[in-house]
Amino acid sequence: MTVLKIARIISLLLFFILLFYATFPLVSLIPVDIFLRLDPLIFAVTLSGSRTVIPLLLPAVIILLLTLVLGRFFCSAICPLGTTIDIADRMIPQGNPEHDPGKKRARTHLVRVKYLLLIFLLAAAASGISLILVFSPMALATRLYGTLIMPVFFLVAGGALDLIRPLTWEFDITTLAYASIDVPRFALTWVTVLVTGAILGCALIAPRFWCRYLCPAGAIFAVFSRRPLIRRTVSEGCTRCGLCQELCPMDAIGEDPRDTVYSECSGCRVCAGVCPERVISFPLRGRTGKKAAQEFSAGRRGLLAAAGAGISAGLIARTDLGYRTGTDEPGEVHHPALIRPPGAIPENEFLLRCVRCGICMKACPTNTLQPTWFEAGLAGMMSPVIRPRRGPCEPPCAVCGHVCPTGAIRTLNPEEKICAKVGTAYILRHKCLAWEFDQPCLICEEVCPYGAIELRTVDGIPVTVPFVDEKKCTGCGYCEYYCPVQAGSAVVVEPMDEIRLSLGSYCETARERGFIFDEKDGLVRLPEDGHRDTKIPESDGGLPPGFTE
Amino acid sequence: MDNRILARFLLDLESFMKRPFSRREYLLFQSKAGLLLAAGASGFLLPSPLKALDVPDIGIAVGGPGPATRAAVDLLGGMKAFVKQGQSVVIKPNMSFTGGVDDATNTNPEVVRELVAMCNEAGASRVRVLDNPLRPSELCIESFREACSLFDDDVVHALTNKAFFREVSIPGAETLKKTEIMRDVLESDVLIAAPVAKSHGSTGVSLSMKGMMGLILNRTVMHWRYDLHTAIVDLCRVLQPRLVVIDGTRVLSSGGPGGPGTVLKENTVIASRDMVAADAQAVSMFTWYGQKMEPRQVKHIRIAHERGLGRMDIEHLTRKKIQV
Repeated sequence: MTVLKIARIISLLLFFILLFYATFPLVSLIPVDIFLRLDPLIFAVTLSGSRTVIPLLLPAVIILLLTLVLGRFFCSAICPLGTTIDIADRMIPQGNPEHDPGKKRARTHLVRVKYLLLIFLLAAAASGISLILVFSPMALATRLYGTLIMPVFFLVAGGALDLIRPLTWEFDITTLAYASIDVPRFALTWVTVLVTGAILGCALIAPRFWCRYLCPAGAIFAVFSRRPLIRRTVSEGCTRCGLCQELCPMDAIGEDPRDTVYSECSGCRVCAGVCPERVISFPLRGRTGKKAAQEFSAGRRGLLAAAGAGISAGLIARTDLGYRTGTDEPGEVHHPALIRPPGAIPENEFLLRCVRCGICMKACPTNTLQPTWFEAGLAGMMSPVIRPRRGPCEPPCAVCGHVCPTGAIRTLNPEEKICAKVGTAYILRHKCLAWEFDQPCLICEEVCPYGAIELRTVDGIPVTVPFVDEKKCTGCGYCEYYCPVQAGSAVVVEPMDEIRLSLGSYCETARERGFIFDEKDGLVRLPEDGHRDTKIPESDGGLPPGFTE
Repeated sequence: MDNRILARFLLDLESFMKRPFSRREYLLFQSKAGLLLAAGASGFLLPSPLKALDVPDIGIAVGGPGPATRAAVDLLGGMKAFVKQGQSVVIKPNMSFTGGVDDATNTNPEVVRELVAMCNEAGASRVRVLDNPLRPSELCIESFREACSLFDDDVVHALTNKAFFREVSIPGAETLKKTEIMRDVLESDVLIAAPVAKSHGSTGVSLSMKGMMGLILNRTVMHWRYDLHTAIVDLCRVLQPRLVVIDGTRVLSSGGPGGPGTVLKENTVIASRDMVAADAQAVSMFTWYGQKMEPRQVKHIRIAHERGLGRMDIEHLTRKKIQV
């Protein structure tokens, strides 16, 4: 087993482990989002879109500097998507397409596609829309494993626990007997299935099809590895048998097997391994081939077209109904279900920064964070929203911001988290058990962590009925989650009055706007909020709530 | 002896007749019937408390959480009267909220710890402290885990997953005919209810009877499909604790069940074998929203009394109160 293979296995395992540990409470020595932060495409697109260097993403710069030395080592040694593609390539029979040199040559022009995609993405981001959602390899891998494969894994593991429960129960193996796994469920799994399925399915055409022809991150690496310091060298004795050419996963070997297209070479050393003459090595500053053959340039016309298409995409996004001007003027269409995670920066900046990796959704302990489709317009596909019907936003948790690789969701301390109001609940009286059906329900009041729901006696209704105090409501969705009314809840959170800040303190803003968020269970309190609101009976002689004559 | 035992027997009989039974069950049943007959013949089933002398129907102790708990149970003859050597016990406190002791939304962990200790002393083979909490389980049970850590790491559990529940039918129920109940409870020998005394916006108070809702999987259905008060009484037909210990060390007098509200320092623990009587005692002895209330004003207590589940006429029961 070569060093490279070991590196690749360690990298994939580490990726899984970190993804697994992306959860609440967050405990990890290594940042769980580090793989995402190594992706130069995420760095470049967010740079182009938000016009700021995001310090969180500087690890990608280190990878690029290393690329100058090592070539596209990231593609062969680190990239979890690359390794996944390798696995798929092994499992899917390829009908020997590589043995047909004609077909192979016919595909050579596809190499340029990734550069065009890169330019397209950068231009689109510069003109106001991030279309990175199906292009960043790290985001794709995170979404594939975090929101598709891990839930299935949990489901199976949970089933196994249930299966052995009679045994663990009988023999009093308490930790296992009481262990259970809540299986997360995600919206739009079919999008991830189709996208990653297509990428892996390309194994039918050629190995590492995605990495060779499509991956825009690969394009950035290619630019940085036109002549890496450590590079493939063929010494005397090559018989030009062509075996290396045939088996190179990256199609990086020229017409003459002694020539290497360095920008395509991932340094995987497959060629060195298969060479019958053992004349291929990867020394420091090795000899370059005759012509640094087929070094590809994307072509001026193509690049201009890609840039034009990207700019157009941005312009089209700005004319989309869902596009937000960032003001509260009339005419702003803010979808009522578009509740962003606490700490999400203002909408347009948010959409430019969010890379749709889904790590926030993976980490969310209540599974409330879900990908959305068109609620945020064209530019918002697969971005995270809170779905209170699925789960509440847990007051002490702010894990989404802590795992977000780009700062689209800010990192909040517990106090700031409470103040980062995501919306406001309101009661649909015509559905409410108490208001409409005279039922003594009031679960919403019971579960509200902020005491924002008050029960009052109203003339003509035999039970007490709930009212929302919008000044105390953070929009956490506990009420909507637990509301026993079937299908649509009788208490609904909408992003009314959400606090979205790219800078500054949420608590200060909350105070300015007159909010009083007091986590009643005492986990977190606002600093100056020492007193306890005792809502004693303004019983105008009436009975205490819930009692009868 | 009150007519509760008879009622329960008839209940058993009813359910027994409705389903196929094994030979073992049949024998057990016969022996129960025999005992009951013998009891009746010996005058034991007369509607007056003719139990062991000095054992009151309701024991009330005032003092610190731990000592008051022990004293209240001792008034009823000590834990040995409820837990026999080798029996398994489930204790059901309120641990549905993440608040601290002063919030009075949860049972005082010290009360629970004392109960666990007493069960262990009585020779229980296994003690479990269980609830199905509203807020994330780990946050809710943290303080209980801590309080009970000196016994065994595995005492306290918050169970929310369907795998831990089993559906049972409720014979004689008016509305809630079946529900999924914690397996542990169904398979244990002794159930002890240990609720905190608190107000409840829709049921007036939340005490031992209302607290049984924490042992089932789907309690929201009780709010919307059925009449909540009737459904609580239905549920208590299958979930009748052998011992009820109400934690009135702090009483959430208003704003319950979730708070925040007025918290009264009452330093009181109430114990009884009769859940209706225990709840009735708590209703009448504490103040609710600044008012004195009567047990009959809590609908589920009244219905339970009418249906023979227990007695709310505490003035006719023997009560004993001590200071520790």
